[in-house]
Amino acid sequence: MNGKKSMGELLDFLKKNTEINENIVYWKTIEEKQAKTIPFPADLHPAIVKALQQRGIDALYTHQLSAFKAANSGRSFVAVTPTASGKTLCYNLPVLQEIANNPGTRALYLFPTKALAHDQKAEINELIEAIGLDMKSYTYDGDTAANIRQVVRKAGNVVLTNPDMLHSAILPHHTKWVSLFENLKFVVIDELHTYRGVFGSHVANVIRRLKRICRFYGSDPLFICTSATIANPKELAEKLTGAKVELIDNNGAPSGKKHFLFYNPPVVNRPLNIRKSATLEARNLAKLFLQNKIQTIVFARSRVRVEILLTYLQELAKQEFGFKSIQGYRGGYLPKQRREIERGLRSGEVMGVVSTNALELGVDIGQLHACILTGYPGSIASSWQQAGRAGRRQDESVVIMVASSSPLDQYIIQHPEYFFNRSPESARINPDNLIILVDHLKCAAYELPFKKGESFDGVEIEEILEFLTDEQVLHHQGDQYFWMNDSFPAHNISLRSASQENVVIIDQTNIANVKVIGEMDRFSSLTLLHEEAIYLHQGVQYQVEKLDYEEKKAYVREVNVDYFTDANLAVSLKVLEVDQSTSFHSHERAFGEVTVNAMATIFKKIQFESHQNIGSGPIHLPEEELHTSATWISFNDPITNDFSTNELEQSLIGIANVLRHIAPLFVMCDKGDLHVVPQMKAVHSGKPTIFLYDRYPGGVGLSETVYKEWDTILHEAAALIERCPCESGCPSCTEMAAEGKDGKKKALYLLNSLRRNNDVYPIKAQSV
Amino acid sequence: MSIQSKLNRFKKHLVPEKNAASLPIDKPSHRVHVPQLKIWEDFQTTPYYFEEDYCLIREVAYPLDELWGKYRFSELYEVMERWQQMKVHHPLASEGLNPGDLLFFDTETTGLSGGSGNTIFLLGSSKIDNDEVKVKQYFLPQPGSEIALYHYFLTQVNELKNLVTYNGKSFDWPQVKTRHTLIRDYVPSLPAFGHYDLLHGARRLWKHVLPSVRLSIVEKEILGVFRENDVPGYLAPMLYFQFLNEGDPQLIQGVMKHNEWDVLSLITLYIHMSKIIQNDLPVTTAECFELARWLEALGETEMALTKYEEIIQHDSTESIRAKKAAAFLYKKMKKYDRALKLLEELCEPGLKDEGPWIELAKLYEHHKKDYEKALYYAKEGFSVWKSKKRLLKHKANREQREFEKRIERIEKKCRF
Repeated sequence: MNGKKSMGELLDFLKKNTEINENIVYWKTIEEKQAKTIPFPADLHPAIVKALQQRGIDALYTHQLSAFKAANSGRSFVAVTPTASGKTLCYNLPVLQEIANNPGTRALYLFPTKALAHDQKAEINELIEAIGLDMKSYTYDGDTAANIRQVVRKAGNVVLTNPDMLHSAILPHHTKWVSLFENLKFVVIDELHTYRGVFGSHVANVIRRLKRICRFYGSDPLFICTSATIANPKELAEKLTGAKVELIDNNGAPSGKKHFLFYNPPVVNRPLNIRKSATLEARNLAKLFLQNKIQTIVFARSRVRVEILLTYLQELAKQEFGFKSIQGYRGGYLPKQRREIERGLRSGEVMGVVSTNALELGVDIGQLHACILTGYPGSIASSWQQAGRAGRRQDESVVIMVASSSPLDQYIIQHPEYFFNRSPESARINPDNLIILVDHLKCAAYELPFKKGESFDGVEIEEILEFLTDEQVLHHQGDQYFWMNDSFPAHNISLRSASQENVVIIDQTNIANVKVIGEMDRFSSLTLLHEEAIYLHQGVQYQVEKLDYEEKKAYVREVNVDYFTDANLAVSLKVLEVDQSTSFHSHERAFGEVTVNAMATIFKKIQFESHQNIGSGPIHLPEEELHTSATWISFNDPITNDFSTNELEQSLIGIANVLRHIAPLFVMCDKGDLHVVPQMKAVHSGKPTIFLYDRYPGGVGLSETVYKEWDTILHEAAALIERCPCESGCPSCTEMAAEGKDGKKKALYLLNSLRRNNDVYPIKAQSV
Repeated sequence: MSIQSKLNRFKKHLVPEKNAASLPIDKPSHRVHVPQLKIWEDFQTTPYYFEEDYCLIREVAYPLDELWGKYRFSELYEVMERWQQMKVHHPLASEGLNPGDLLFFDTETTGLSGGSGNTIFLLGSSKIDNDEVKVKQYFLPQPGSEIALYHYFLTQVNELKNLVTYNGKSFDWPQVKTRHTLIRDYVPSLPAFGHYDLLHGARRLWKHVLPSVRLSIVEKEILGVFRENDVPGYLAPMLYFQFLNEGDPQLIQGVMKHNEWDVLSLITLYIHMSKIIQNDLPVTTAECFELARWLEALGETEMALTKYEEIIQHDSTESIRAKKAAAFLYKKMKKYDRALKLLEELCEPGLKDEGPWIELAKLYEHHKKDYEKALYYAKEGFSVWKSKKRLLKHKANREQREFEKRIERIEKKCRF
């Protein structure tokens, strides 16, 4: 090849090259959009007007003006803004306006990560400098030096931090922040959509604590949120902040022309419906763009995928651009490493990035022209956010989604209309999850004593306060509950991960220079950091030599092998209590509480290119116990009588496999947050049963949603199996290729018998 | 399922709070009833009533000539008298003050972390008052009575200009500020305060000779204070929790006694440390050396040199370090001859430290202009350096280059 192709030429090439084009099953062109602007409002402070004009801004986009007006008249709001639509002005404008008019004003900005806070500090400080008034903004996080902390507390008009710092460093020490809390007028929550599931439920409680402290010091701040596109931004904002929130979604920012391609890898084994690996296809497509010096981002769904893709692409890059030009980016990297990558991307030194969804967040990495999604990211909202990484400015850009063989991917890729027409998912939180609530009530009691009859932002808590008194954590005296314990509760509670403590990963390749290279939550460590596991980090392979489960340390050493490891988790499950149930002739659906016991059993060594199993070994780690909420379906005799034991087992496994992929679609969660377990004989009923349970102790409402949506979910599951072109089950549906011929048919039969229109009526529905 | 029974099931997932005693609910305090008043009174403790509430005040007096460890309390007069006479810039100097102006102060709290949930349940103080040592303790009988406690404390001690504490700068005082912030609308404001924190000096003097510089260790090893039946400080939170639970004053009396002894020992410690600095006490050479370094750090060069010379005269293990330090100071003061003499004494064949050799080379090269000697010492220093093992390669390379440059330069000077 001589000379580099431009984006236009490349798109042409994709259309004309039959080998590629026959795999592109859908090509959607999203036309460019003109800007909708409105002149500056008359009351905007002249210094701010001047500063904006200096930076080439002569008018506001429609949504920015709405935001300004809402804040000005004292209304909390959430602005829904796609990437690169000038969302920061939605909050910076009203906040700086208030500070300009009222220099004592203080504002607290919350970002989901430290890196984002640093980005935004740079941005707001540029604006402040241009305004030329005495305004101060500081970041406050674990890296802030002790002598600067004093200054931030006393004088920062704008304090940029993250919920974890608010939780463990600011609120428990609120007496050192008196002037902030007395004058707090705005709380800005950026990237609202990231506050979902367990993390969001925690943060909602941190906000409840924040509001309680503000009341103590006599302030009542407005909440300003910005969110990527999700189905329920207003609901989420209101649930997270406990305030009435106005929705602003009249986006007036322009956008460039974008091509959205669905790419389905070719089938290599028709009877088994096995397709070429999505990872390899994504690699080839990425190579095409990178060769032409087009900055490309490749998303993969798991850490392991990221590392595998990274290894491939770095190998390619070595010859052409030098090793550093392709980088990995994911949650397990240490902050400093991540920031270097972000800088490299902005400067253009880094040509390609392979990332997990860590980069979904609005970290400013400048403009990328091509975006490749290796597999469907799991939700429509995530897909659009990842896709938003390409063409942030007004150029032509391309997004290619490469489907894997998983049932969900195949469902999406064969139904583009579903993807493009369906509104994105809702983000759910459950701030009243008992475990999370109790955690934060402890912190709140530490911060200020509770008065009898006081609610926690509307939640009745007397019973919990009594419980904590019995547990000898609180002391009840007169009409107050006092913290009476020598511990510091916020330090024992992490907002981020289900299990409280992470396992640190220690590289001891060089005995003289042993160093920590990453961390991982405890539950994942069972299957990813067991002894002999191959752990991948920045494309480098490490073998785990020792996992000290008690001390939460994994010791690894660099190796060079041609396989990766995959561990099995044995799960047993017990029903503790049925909260709701519905009976049908064929089956029963229920929702309630369960105990789950999980234990890692064995691991397999899988060769890289061939994906062959080349060895295995046992895992010796303790059992993990989990109390959580679950929903389940139990099958009644008449319909299972036609099945042999083996057939029934295979059918249950098959249906479970489909549900594992379909259910998260309807509750907007990661596949890892909702587990599916089939049982031939459930302990509580003795019946064949399929359970779905929340991964987080106490549940965060995922399985409850599934319980309410069973009709839809079962319908979609059956439809998926029916539409799958394979003969008797494949990885894209029931995954039973190796077993009996009728597997797929039997699973479908079983599934169809559950669907309500095949059943007469529910015989009995009850709520316990 | 009720929330309570759910919570009991979830217990495993909840973060356990460790080490608390049992704390059932007590009855709302009606009017101002002080439970177990008789027992309190037998323990020199009386209630102070404020509005609908109360706190407890304990007062104990000691005669001035009472011996506490190595000293009598009355010796405070002498050391303060000496501070008046000495013209020295030192953080412990109390010139311009009377013995009665110092308030020796220590608190007991429900935890070690400095957050808003950590409650001070005992403010203890001692001071000289009317020819007696008065210990006064302000005790929080229940967590809801802080307003009464601080109201009384702040009206009593209208001036906190001269607190003497042990680690009070970073712990006790910030904690008082935190508690005060929480009730600032109901109590007098905090007065300005000045501070003598004895921990800093204790660290300087005894860090290398004691296993830890906790007050209890310093007391025993340095001050000659031996306590009998002392309740160790770390038990204080648990005993307080238990007292809240059971209401028995005897549970907490041990902690109050402990605090009383702490504030008394602070007086002895202040006397002892003052005497060391005032040169009024035979000290070990190790102490003398640390003291000299402390004075040097404070800019009291003359006094520091006197101490260093003292050590040098009594040939001891510290004298090598003292000679080095003194030589450095003399050089700074441009007293080159004394510096040279000390360095030459140091540079014996056995010395495994190239530093003095380099210093000598510098002095001869730049100040004495005696290049032959300078060259000799530079070369000797280099060979000493070479005989040592080194860990860091880049540092070694840099040092080697410096030696070579120096030697080359002096050789050049020799030739002209």
